Amino acid sequence: MTLTKLRRLLTPVVLASAMAASFTAHADATLDKINSRHELTVGVLIGGSPFGSLDPSTQQPRGFNVDLANELGKRLGVKVQLVSVLPSTRVQFLQQGKVDILIANMEYNAQRGEILDHVATPYYRVGGTAITLKTSGITRWEDLRGKPVCISQGSSYIRPIVERYGAIPRAFPGASQSLLALRGGSCVAAVHDAAPLLYPLLQSDPEWHDYRALQPEIEPAPSVIWVRQGEHDTAAKLDTFVRDLHRNGWFIATEAKNGLNPPSPALAEWHQQLPAEN
Amino acid sequence: MDTLLHGFVTATARLGLDYRFLLDDYERVPFVQGLGVSIEIIVSTMTASAVAGLLLLLALRGRNRLVCGLARGFIEVTRNTPTLVQLYCAFLVLNMLITQWLHARGIDNPFKPFFWVVLVLSLHKAAFHAEALRAGFDALPSQTLEGAASLGFSRATRFWRIELPLALRAALPALVNNMVELVKASAVASAIAVGDVTYQSIMIWTQRDNVLALMLLILAFFGVLTWLVTLAGSWLERRYRIPGYGY
Repeated sequence: MTLTKLRRLLTPVVLASAMAASFTAHADATLDKINSRHELTVGVLIGGSPFGSLDPSTQQPRGFNVDLANELGKRLGVKVQLVSVLPSTRVQFLQQGKVDILIANMEYNAQRGEILDHVATPYYRVGGTAITLKTSGITRWEDLRGKPVCISQGSSYIRPIVERYGAIPRAFPGASQSLLALRGGSCVAAVHDAAPLLYPLLQSDPEWHDYRALQPEIEPAPSVIWVRQGEHDTAAKLDTFVRDLHRNGWFIATEAKNGLNPPSPALAEWHQQLPAEN
Repeated sequence: MDTLLHGFVTATARLGLDYRFLLDDYERVPFVQGLGVSIEIIVSTMTASAVAGLLLLLALRGRNRLVCGLARGFIEVTRNTPTLVQLYCAFLVLNMLITQWLHARGIDNPFKPFFWVVLVLSLHKAAFHAEALRAGFDALPSQTLEGAASLGFSRATRFWRIELPLALRAALPALVNNMVELVKASAVASAIAVGDVTYQSIMIWTQRDNVLALMLLILAFFGVLTWLVTLAGSWLERRYRIPGYGY
């Protein structure tokens, strides 16, 4: 065995152990905490949708967010502690260390990117859709021109429906008021998040049987897993898991298992694209 | 006008207040319309609540015990529940049921959010007006009432010509107070997307994040309106003062 041959054999081993050493030495605070306590605390949104809800028979949380949290825990080899968070306070839960990561239907945008870090690969994509009576004669977004549309105050969909489609927004304090106003005939359609809110409503609630959703979704934004600012190692480690879950079709299977319908085209896209990158 | 606006925007920008929406037609026009809508709501509600308050009082003082009981019950329920909850019940629930009922018969619902906010606010304030007027009637001197009765006036004449004018004077400060409350309560219209000034401001600040600048404008707007109501109230008190009568 020549010296070059030996070196060629040894190099990957040396490199790998050096990398492993540097990894353990420089693991960030979150990863250290997870490893030392053998526990991953995940903030999940239990909003009563297929993403997160309470199982009426066992009172245990279930849904897409919950499955993802458990899967990440399994891959890290630690127990998973679930904490139910609300949209209004979820960022504080993460920043104050009450949870290690957030899997809470929280889409990426630049403002959030300034105060938190996130796992680079998204796990879902959420856009807005409009629901309207099947008999309303509205089949495309363009048909909303000049018509009143119910929406939530502060919604990111106000600008696109006004500027692109010329609709007249009727903004209510929240989605529930907006949907009731739609039923009361104050507007011809209501625009909200598609997958977490409107699709489940159309499918599972018989009261909404006469309504349907417009396609394609507007302003699609990636849902990502959030970590505290500066926790790059945690984000990088989870990113390898998320990419793998896309690659092996786990996300698509979990989406179907939780009854998220129609299936997200984004998941199929990522499933196709990710192996090609390697 | 344009240079004036520009001057105002640059001057306030130095104080850290963002009034740039005033330069954008797309936002200034709805805001100015919002001011108008707020005034419309306030004027309609003042008129309607005065009429409804008087009707409630008539019901309270009438001879029919059933009507009296119903009026008493209505006042208690209305006074003791929040306006916002009443508005949601009326607009989101009642209006929805009416729409569905009419829809089944092929008719469009003629009641718009503006109507509901005026209706709910008017009835809410009418209950307070009726209570203020009741206090005014209770304060009528018994000698005056006896004197009027002894002169042979009919019950109706005594009510309209003697009791009500005197009771109104006694109730005036409380009624003006109700009207000031009413001006401020008109902001609940924003909760059901009536395009009043509060609603238009929310729509602007969710896009521009200039909450403070708009809050100051709304505060000033309501401040001026309530001040005008108070002025009108003290003018009325002076105008209808009876020298030596104590009001």
